[in-house]
Amino acid sequence: MARHTWSRYPRRTFYLFVGPWVVGFLLLTAAPLLYAFGISLTNFDGSSPRWNWVGLRNYTELLGDQDAWAALVRTIVFTAIVVPLSVVGALGLAVLLNRRLKAVGLWRTVFYLPSVVPIVATAIMWKLILNRDAGILNAILSVTGLDRITWLVDPMAFYALILLCLWGVGGGMIIMLAALQGVPTELEEAARMDGAGPWRVFRHVTVPMISPVIYFQVITGVIATFQIIVQPLLLAETNSMVTLGQVPQGTHLYMVQVWEQFFLSNRFGYGSAMLWVLFLITLAFTLLLMRSSRSWVHYEVDSDADR
Amino acid sequence: MQTVRSHAVHTSRTRLVGSRPALRRRRRSAGATYIILLALAVVFAGPFFWLLLAALKTRGEWVAVPTKILPAEPQWSNFTHAFTDINFPAYAMNSLFLATTYAVLITLSSAVVGFGFARLQAPGKRVMFLVLLSTMMLPQVLTILPTYVLFSRIGLVNTYWPWVLWGLAASPFLVFLFRQFFAAIPRELEDAAIIDGCGWGRIFVRIFLPLSRPVLVTAFLLSFTWNWGDYIAPALLLDADHTTLSVAITAWYQDPHGNPLPTVQAAAAALYVLPVMLIFLFAQRYFIRGVVGSGVKG
Repeated sequence: MARHTWSRYPRRTFYLFVGPWVVGFLLLTAAPLLYAFGISLTNFDGSSPRWNWVGLRNYTELLGDQDAWAALVRTIVFTAIVVPLSVVGALGLAVLLNRRLKAVGLWRTVFYLPSVVPIVATAIMWKLILNRDAGILNAILSVTGLDRITWLVDPMAFYALILLCLWGVGGGMIIMLAALQGVPTELEEAARMDGAGPWRVFRHVTVPMISPVIYFQVITGVIATFQIIVQPLLLAETNSMVTLGQVPQGTHLYMVQVWEQFFLSNRFGYGSAMLWVLFLITLAFTLLLMRSSRSWVHYEVDSDADR
Repeated sequence: MQTVRSHAVHTSRTRLVGSRPALRRRRRSAGATYIILLALAVVFAGPFFWLLLAALKTRGEWVAVPTKILPAEPQWSNFTHAFTDINFPAYAMNSLFLATTYAVLITLSSAVVGFGFARLQAPGKRVMFLVLLSTMMLPQVLTILPTYVLFSRIGLVNTYWPWVLWGLAASPFLVFLFRQFFAAIPRELEDAAIIDGCGWGRIFVRIFLPLSRPVLVTAFLLSFTWNWGDYIAPALLLDADHTTLSVAITAWYQDPHGNPLPTVQAAAAALYVLPVMLIFLFAQRYFIRGVVGSGVKG
């Protein structure tokens, strides 16, 4: 056997090491997505072996589907409310904790903990709080003389869902806190010496310094919020897979609509078309934000992240 | 009077330009900070306490108007019911088995892939890393529905094989975490091993893996809690016999007439979050390391 010349990096080694991810990505991410595209060109109903190619008919139907459009608009509005609130909230909490405080670890734990609580438990907790007759929130309201509110149906369900999402703001707070601690104190000090007040230092020194992190939070926040499905399903008054179709209008977001196309109407083809539209919207949005980021995200010249 | 002293230290810089009123203003703003923090803490911690109180009430106390804050006598029997009304231990075992298997596999596979991206070279690496980063953005929800259709066709529904496959496939998020860690290790370490004739496999197992223990712990804890909390995959892929706690506790606590039992469900939910909370309270720094390691580099 002829010996190869020695190389520090035999090509095969790299491919062997990253192989698990490559194969996994192709089989478990790319394949299902392409499969969904295939289904979206059919009238497959999920169980019967008979189905036909319908071409792009699912997509053209989607263009005129009032309910789907309404769900999409609702999702956009929901995202436009939740993401700014949670990013600003996370930053606000981080600023509060980024000071000399007593028991800073305790405060941090209290704010951070909700974000690691499993979604099912979160939904159960908030249903107990928002319960019309027995919930603590209405109990507090009735003490102050206000009427009891039915939180989990229209029109309040929309706001209840926002509340539930904001409760998990601590995950973002931790990231913001780390970013704030990475801002060199000399910069803020110098601005203060030049006579800048606390707000101006924050606005013109701190925020630009951590803008990559804020940007990352906005992108991941928008993408995650766009795909929300479990929270509305679990918050709905009766919550099992069988009692679909009972999600209130206000929390009937895009993915809930997709879910119902699959499991209520058995329209797997149409539902898959909706999934693909969502995928394309997400993709387009991410590219758009990446482009616009250059104008408002400040990166330091040194980029050792690539080394 | 530790506050006063620490604030004195803190303000010594500002006192160069500021004056006594400035100092007083600072102290007052510190007081305001604690009031705000306390109010926020009530909102953030409130749901936990309300859950626990609900779990300790009788059904009558739960629906009583005006609302009773405390139960007359703690109803520990709600917890017994939570355990026996449905087969709680079996579902807990399913959750534990699934989460452990998944977490062990995905931690190891992500370490392997992360090592490849951090220390090895080959054509196509850059492009592959870009693809990896962009799939970090792709949420599971988008692929889970077609995955469900696909898996039910090839007979993977009602088995735990999907979690084994997902575990073996590494998670882009954890790969990134490992890559950042491995990339920071000095090159001399591997040079010595290469001169001794070590292959990359042994370099990884003998040198890099032992060094990465904190990241291994972080990855394991993160993936364990993700899986313990996952609802949508078990709800779709597993039937009533195979499913996990997260599905079992959502809708199955009912009296014979089909009415929900909120107090028993609350007890079950408390038992269900307990492991996550314990892990979190004892290993918070690992969580922080994981979340921060992913988020800071945009």
